[in-house]
Amino acid sequence: MASATTALPSAGRRGDAALTVLMVWHAALCILLIAGALVVLSSAPALDLTPVALAAGLALLALGSGVAAALILRRNHLGRTLSLTVNYILFLACLIGLAHVLGVFMGLDDLADYMARGIPFLMAALFVVGYFVAATELRDRPVPVARRNLGRVLMAVGAIGFLLTAGVVPALASVPGKYASGGLLPLALTAGVAVLGYMLWSMWRGESARAMGAKNIHSERLNGWLFLSPNLLGFALFFAGPLLFSLYVSFTNWDAFNKRDWVGLDNYRRVFNLTVQPLATPDQPANQAIDVRVYDELFRVNLFGQGYLVGAEDKRFWISLRNTLVFGLLAVPLSVIPALLLATLLNSRLPGMRIYRTLYFIPSVAAVVGVALIWQWMYNSQVGWINYFITSAVNFINGVFGTNIKDPQIRWLADSDYALLSVVIMSAWQWLGFNTVLFLAGLQTIPRELYEAATVDGANPRQQFFNVTLPMLAPTTLYVLITTTIQALQVFDQVFIVSNGMGGPGTSTLTMTLNLYQNGFQSFRQGYASALAWVLFIVIFVFTLFQFRRQRRASGAYDM
Amino acid sequence: MKTTYRLIGLMAIAGLILAACAVPAAQPAQPAQPAQPAQPAATEAPAATEAPAAPAEISLRWRTRPDNKEEADVYASISDEVAKKLGIKLTYEPGGSETASYQDVLRTELAAGTAPDVFWIPGTDIADFVQRGLLLNLRPYADATEGYSDSNYYPEPMFHLTYNPETGKPGEVLWGLPRDVSTFVLYLNLDLINEAGAPDPRELAKEGKWDWAAFKEVAEKINALGGEIKGYGMNAWWGPYGAFMNSAGGGFFNAERNACNLNSKESLEGLSFLRSLYDAGIAVPYGEDSEPPFRAGKVGMFQNGRWATPGISTVTFNWDVVELPKGPSGHMGNWLFWGAYVVNKNTKHPEAAWKLVDALTQPDIQAKVAARGTNIPSRVGEAVFAEFLKILPEKNNQAFLNGLADKPTAEGPLWTGSWPDFDKAMGAKVSDVLTGKLSVEEFGKTICDEAGKAFNK
Repeated sequence: MASATTALPSAGRRGDAALTVLMVWHAALCILLIAGALVVLSSAPALDLTPVALAAGLALLALGSGVAAALILRRNHLGRTLSLTVNYILFLACLIGLAHVLGVFMGLDDLADYMARGIPFLMAALFVVGYFVAATELRDRPVPVARRNLGRVLMAVGAIGFLLTAGVVPALASVPGKYASGGLLPLALTAGVAVLGYMLWSMWRGESARAMGAKNIHSERLNGWLFLSPNLLGFALFFAGPLLFSLYVSFTNWDAFNKRDWVGLDNYRRVFNLTVQPLATPDQPANQAIDVRVYDELFRVNLFGQGYLVGAEDKRFWISLRNTLVFGLLAVPLSVIPALLLATLLNSRLPGMRIYRTLYFIPSVAAVVGVALIWQWMYNSQVGWINYFITSAVNFINGVFGTNIKDPQIRWLADSDYALLSVVIMSAWQWLGFNTVLFLAGLQTIPRELYEAATVDGANPRQQFFNVTLPMLAPTTLYVLITTTIQALQVFDQVFIVSNGMGGPGTSTLTMTLNLYQNGFQSFRQGYASALAWVLFIVIFVFTLFQFRRQRRASGAYDM
Repeated sequence: MKTTYRLIGLMAIAGLILAACAVPAAQPAQPAQPAQPAQPAATEAPAATEAPAAPAEISLRWRTRPDNKEEADVYASISDEVAKKLGIKLTYEPGGSETASYQDVLRTELAAGTAPDVFWIPGTDIADFVQRGLLLNLRPYADATEGYSDSNYYPEPMFHLTYNPETGKPGEVLWGLPRDVSTFVLYLNLDLINEAGAPDPRELAKEGKWDWAAFKEVAEKINALGGEIKGYGMNAWWGPYGAFMNSAGGGFFNAERNACNLNSKESLEGLSFLRSLYDAGIAVPYGEDSEPPFRAGKVGMFQNGRWATPGISTVTFNWDVVELPKGPSGHMGNWLFWGAYVVNKNTKHPEAAWKLVDALTQPDIQAKVAARGTNIPSRVGEAVFAEFLKILPEKNNQAFLNGLADKPTAEGPLWTGSWPDFDKAMGAKVSDVLTGKLSVEEFGKTICDEAGKAFNK
């Protein structure tokens, strides 16, 4: 009886042999991975978390592999899942590693130059495919075999022509050379790809699945994870990983090249290090009030008749914070409120409205660099269009009404009083179209019946706007506000172009992202720049949270 | 049918991956193949340490920052020529990006390990790159090269390019060779000067009367034409205002270049003079790009380097150049701008990389680049000067050579501090002074407390 209950499902002789191989493989892999983790750990410099994280990853895979071996022995389906997971991750790692060693990623950058030559062939192939697909769909009878075969031949010729012109022949010829010059690594990675690929296939196939007790639900789950895996791995590799890495880097003094010493919270201390000292006289020099070897004067303030000097170890951080907040306070309303009004106008059924919608949307799809360069030229105080129109308007008014209004001749980008405002106008102009489209989409979801009911109740258009349109648009408004606020607090491209990367004139357009860019990529203080990035993240998080709470309260009041 | 699609799809993906695998090496090689007869030339090269067959396998990437497409084309053709001469494969990458500066991109690539073997960097960056261990010391290769001498080039850049930060002495190492040099001149709108009835600055310079007072007088007369006309214009970076500080006898740093000198009496005098031009409304507002109004014929004198010549040569009015006016120090206080070809420390072919640097700075190659009108060769000697003077012969090319001969200050790296930090602190404060937000006195009181911190890092 006991032996009957413990009998393991069989996959046939060949299938059992494959599972035995898989079990041995996972046991061996477990040992290999543990050894790898130990080697990485032993060679890690003190307090360097990168190898520690790598070793932890290897240990986790080792654990998965070990458990998989044990569960395969018991024919438990969890063992199959673990085996597939471990082998899949390692297979991808080997494949990506091999591509890197062979220079594929570097080559992809250059491939664009050679793609153009192959495009006619590719187009020819696609055209043929399109023709035959269309022919099949349009007619209620099968496509003649001869024509189908002709299509296949043409497609094949097109594809081969594309590959030849894209450089596949010299590429193939260069592969052996890359293996030869790469030492053991490419060979080992190729072997890894082959072995892991085989193990994956071996566990995936039907015989093994049945022997491991796979049910429909197991297959569905595995298929689901498999489809999710590109996004999941991409998220882990290119978002979550760098995010965590930047958090770690923010506790170091890494310069991107050499040193990476653990400095704890020192970067954050430097960011927030302020001093407030009383002043003997309002114009007392800063070097008599604060230790100027550490601090720079930030501002002076008079409280209850006593002057104080506020100094900061990193003055530029506080200036950039102020500029960013001012930018957000101006740019968000300027790009949201007009967008709402514009969307309301564009929502009407007047002739030519689609053209207007398109026109307003164009700035949103224009490249920021191009837009910034054009605005830079328009802002030129001497030869720019904006001052030209202002001067013309002033002259016209003075001429017609006999007034004596002075032409302001605003130095838009050269005067620190106007520079940030200029960037605000430029950014608001660019974001306006996108916000308008979002509001327009929101407006079109509001049931007409609500307006009809309001009309019956005697509400005028203004009352309808404030009592029907705005409350019904609340979710859209929240989304627009949050995305625009985040965009505003992360403003970079516009100020970088307009100020040639300096944040000038003076520090008037120095924003938080520009400041962290300067620290990270000009002065190469990656550790400090990462700390600044996390501070920016917290600022954005606080603003977003505030908007969510406010919205929740507002919608609660509406519900009541 | 599905199988056919799958097969073709798989073929396309595999083919693309394979193509990507070898594109950089394989594709550029195709047009270069007919040039194989040039290889024996490499075997005849005097550097005896290399086996004759090796160069055929060598592939190098190199990069420089061209000012425009035409200059990039010149460099590309030079690359082909040098590749033939050295018998190696060369891939030229014109630097520059719409959204990031040349240096920022380069540094990021160095950090990622994807930077080219040989690249150009401005003189201010040499110390930073050396101290981060990014550059190869070329001294052993240079010493083994027949005909090479540090004295072939302007001594000012060579001081920094041979400076050993460990011993604090020049001449011991070699971090690269200067690609070219440049210096400031004043580009003149002769039509505006004539219309204003101002004296010709070129004549004043010949007579030795071209000083700050004469310069201001000419600028005022041009400015008096009214409307949008301005007497003088410069762009907002350290070069233009630094020249006035130098000309007054001051400068950014002390003589040892290890402390801030911006608060010296002479530096402040230079800044005060410049401020007076802005206060009087003679100059294009600080922070505005002065080149468009100059090219539009609205500025009488525009301060810029040789790199502006090709663009300005397209204007429709009569133009020429004159050297900078002499200040209280009796000198123009001009800069010797320079940048250098350096070798990535991680290059797999250091000797070939050195040969490339050496070839790129040979007189014939420099003459080709200089012929574009953008640069001045970095080599010294009467023959080089004579060749340079033949470029745009109807213009006063001598003004550039005069600027280089009048004790210029070399655009220099900070071996004892961080130039980007110094520049950021200085640039912001100078901008405040020249836009009227801060007095020169206030600037003098605080600037070295702030900018001086750059020396502690």
